[in-house]
Amino acid sequence: MDAAISRILSDVVVDTLEKLAFLFAAPLEGPAPEDTRELATVRVRFSGPVCGGMQLSLSRSVLAELAGNMLGADDGSALSADEQHDSLRELINIICGNLLPMIGGGTAEFNIQTPFIPAAGTSAAGEFAPVNAVSNLSVENGVCLVSLQLEGPVPTQGPVVKGGRMAGVAGGVES
Amino acid sequence: MAVNVLIVDDSAVMRAMIQKTMILSGLQLGEIHQAANGREGLETLERQWIDLVIADINMPVMTGEEMIEHMQTNPSLRTIPTIVISTEGSQARIDRLQRKGVRFIHKPFSPEIIRDTVKDVLGREVFHGRSH
Repeated sequence: MDAAISRILSDVVVDTLEKLAFLFAAPLEGPAPEDTRELATVRVRFSGPVCGGMQLSLSRSVLAELAGNMLGADDGSALSADEQHDSLRELINIICGNLLPMIGGGTAEFNIQTPFIPAAGTSAAGEFAPVNAVSNLSVENGVCLVSLQLEGPVPTQGPVVKGGRMAGVAGGVES
Repeated sequence: MAVNVLIVDDSAVMRAMIQKTMILSGLQLGEIHQAANGREGLETLERQWIDLVIADINMPVMTGEEMIEHMQTNPSLRTIPTIVISTEGSQARIDRLQRKGVRFIHKPFSPEIIRDTVKDVLGREVFHGRSH
């Protein structure tokens, strides 16, 4: 597990939830819930200087709020499953799109595939195990669990943050 | 003057968010058309009079960048003002789009960014009250 990339991942997830849907997140205290039945999961794959995938699981109550806030609906739970899943796909798309330049560098070009909802019954770890970075957050009355898998080494410029490169990881990170 | 807008994004939720933002911005809206990818966007452009295109980049079937390249080869489409709203983070790709005269807005966006960018592109004349 890479602590530096996990920190960047958490920052991006918190920022995206707040700007996209006025949802405020904080680091999850304690372990992630083992029962994943109350979680809605979405995955996305990407290619470029570094390839890999991301998985995001969100409490269904938070997903309803996410979709409701994105669409300006008073009651997000009244929205259709398609609308809620579309909101979830857009959330991971934005998180992934904002994260990758911070890992691969601002000049790197990534191609993000269309996010997808995995079939029911797929293992919680999913196809992206083992993971390189994790962000477990509490959001409203639920959780947001994000994991990132990178295939191969991170480009030599290493993770970057606004205003400069992160100290301590400039030499790149072996996944 | 009412502005006809084409919103091209593979996410129906994102299209709805952008449409709502456009309505709230005070823009004098005419018709709002939607397309789920670049191919559908081009088909709409062939059939409808469009004053402003708002497009995503990463879409199935045809990307927003490919759609803009097609628009540039068509004399009747190449002058339509285009704004890309995307998660794209590559400065190289953003620069390439901007060299084609495209404006760029990063997701997640604020309603004010969209309003101000549209105002820059189309002018204040197309906004109600003109003081927004």
